[in-house]
Amino acid sequence: MTLHRLFPLRLRQTVTQVRLLHGSGCGHQLEEVAMEPELRKETSVFRTQVNDPACQSERHLGQYYTLPTSHLHTIFPHGLPARYQQQVKTFNEGCVMVRQPPAVRYLLCILHQEGNDLYVSKRPVLLTLTGWVDGLKGSGKTMSLCHTIHYCSTQGWLVLHIPDAHLWVKNCKELLPSSYHTSRFDQPIEASNWLRNFRTTNERFLSKIKLRQRYTWTKRESTEKGSPLGELVDMGVSRVKSSSDVVGAVLKELRLQAAETEESEGFRLAVAIDGVNSLWGRTTIKKEDKSPVAPEELTLIHNLRKMIDNNWCGGAVIATLSQTGSLYSPSSAYLPKELLGEEGFDSMDPFIPVPVSNYSEKEFESCYLYYLDRHWLQHPHSKTDEGKKEIIFLSNRNPSVLERLCAFL
Amino acid sequence: MAAPITGLLKPWTPRLFLVRWSRYNPYYLEPEPRKELYNMPETELTTEQKEERELKAVRPIKATTNSTTSSVFNDPVLSKFVNMMMRDGEKILARGILTQTLESLKRKQVEKYHKAPQGKKAEIECNPYAIFHQALENCMPVIGLASIQKGGKFYQVPVPLTDNRRRFLAMKWMITECRDNKNRRTLMYEKLSQELLAAYSKEGNVIKRKHELHKMAESNRAYAHYRWW
Repeated sequence: MTLHRLFPLRLRQTVTQVRLLHGSGCGHQLEEVAMEPELRKETSVFRTQVNDPACQSERHLGQYYTLPTSHLHTIFPHGLPARYQQQVKTFNEGCVMVRQPPAVRYLLCILHQEGNDLYVSKRPVLLTLTGWVDGLKGSGKTMSLCHTIHYCSTQGWLVLHIPDAHLWVKNCKELLPSSYHTSRFDQPIEASNWLRNFRTTNERFLSKIKLRQRYTWTKRESTEKGSPLGELVDMGVSRVKSSSDVVGAVLKELRLQAAETEESEGFRLAVAIDGVNSLWGRTTIKKEDKSPVAPEELTLIHNLRKMIDNNWCGGAVIATLSQTGSLYSPSSAYLPKELLGEEGFDSMDPFIPVPVSNYSEKEFESCYLYYLDRHWLQHPHSKTDEGKKEIIFLSNRNPSVLERLCAFL
Repeated sequence: MAAPITGLLKPWTPRLFLVRWSRYNPYYLEPEPRKELYNMPETELTTEQKEERELKAVRPIKATTNSTTSSVFNDPVLSKFVNMMMRDGEKILARGILTQTLESLKRKQVEKYHKAPQGKKAEIECNPYAIFHQALENCMPVIGLASIQKGGKFYQVPVPLTDNRRRFLAMKWMITECRDNKNRRTLMYEKLSQELLAAYSKEGNVIKRKHELHKMAESNRAYAHYRWW
């Protein structure tokens, strides 16, 4: 239906080579698209009806697909960038562009498709999204991460999404000494917020996963072995004081159980961290005697580091390096070595770097047409060629600069 | 510089290095930022334009201000508004506030547009520039008051206003209204966008102020003869 609203120059592509990555789901949608009129030389298609990330291939590069509203609320209660959330509210729909790297999705497909023997021996695949080419700020790393998370979610993986790890190492209102380990510090507010969002994202797994160990919180409170994960998470949300330890327990349980091989109960774990370089940097949090707190001394960070270590299998870690929220790092730093530091680089090693750069010409076209379609570009001159050239010049095809520029044009 | 007689002017070179000043020798020509005029071939020029081109080869040209652009998105009314909003020479801040205002205007209207049923969509104006210009036009007073002294007393006399004065008054009222009557917590761009939307639909405090001026002028009709120009 959406395609009918578009102005008649938009045509749908014929299916030339269909690469079906998963059987049943894609079949329908591709058949619909199949028997349509021929391609014209300049295709000005910017939307695609293929809303399932699993079925998207290189044919769909540069095209926008719509995130269903139910997914928006469940999968991304806290993941999307602020300006994108505003855009979703204004346009009354959430559309994401399919961009390079499909490498990320293909790797994850490989993990999923190949047999159970790979399940056991495979160490977690570490993929980092870095801004390539001169430290690109605003090149779409967080959105690519969200795209990957959407894919993982639709495939039935359990997604552990930390929206911005930088927020955990700065501006902490309440810092409690940890009950579990004397030299560490707890952050109850951040931990309970995260647990609440985790609960919204992974509702269906909470009753299926059973705890392997008994956890004692205080003299009177404990969670028994064999009780569902949901109970643990609820406890963390209600008892704010021990929420950081609950987070640690949840991470540990998931790590141990991700390697299950039984078909019915096994699940794949996707750990998605935005701003992973904060785990090895410095913090701005100070103890009561004004001495700075090192990241290892924070319970949340300590537990996260254990997730990134290579000693568990059955899942993947996808991370973004970002300079924007990071502390004490120069604004010209963009290489993984500079942002992560020696220690960080060694613990992340080996990883697969995936570069995210500015829009290519095709992607820019697509974005421009999308804004025109949504009535976002209102200035009469912005619809002319001159105006378009000027927009390209001013924004250098950088996604976030383009978005801010088109906001007032 | 003393008032020169244009007829006796010779080609004059300055002794000091001049920066942009408001008092230039009238010998100096205005700068022309628009690109289209330079791209026109010889045949399309009228006689005046040909003469201008010849003058430009000989005469010096004033320096442009920092805010002159050859961009297609340049709007002189908006530049004037930004200059009026500016305080302590902070143009970047004033321009930022204006762009945020335009963005929030557009956001509100586009949201309404997408949520409206099919029939109502054509009536919603989404272009923030159109809304801004229309709102300003709705705020411009038609007639003004001048204080004229007659027989020891000052009377408020109704007087016609020039276009520049009307535009200035509209912008001034808009800015003072947004500065004075806003809640401590609301930001300037938020309040400006609310006022502009209200003025677009002919409601709000600025329109009220314009109507009050008109009423005063109407009530002082009797003194209209005190005006001599």
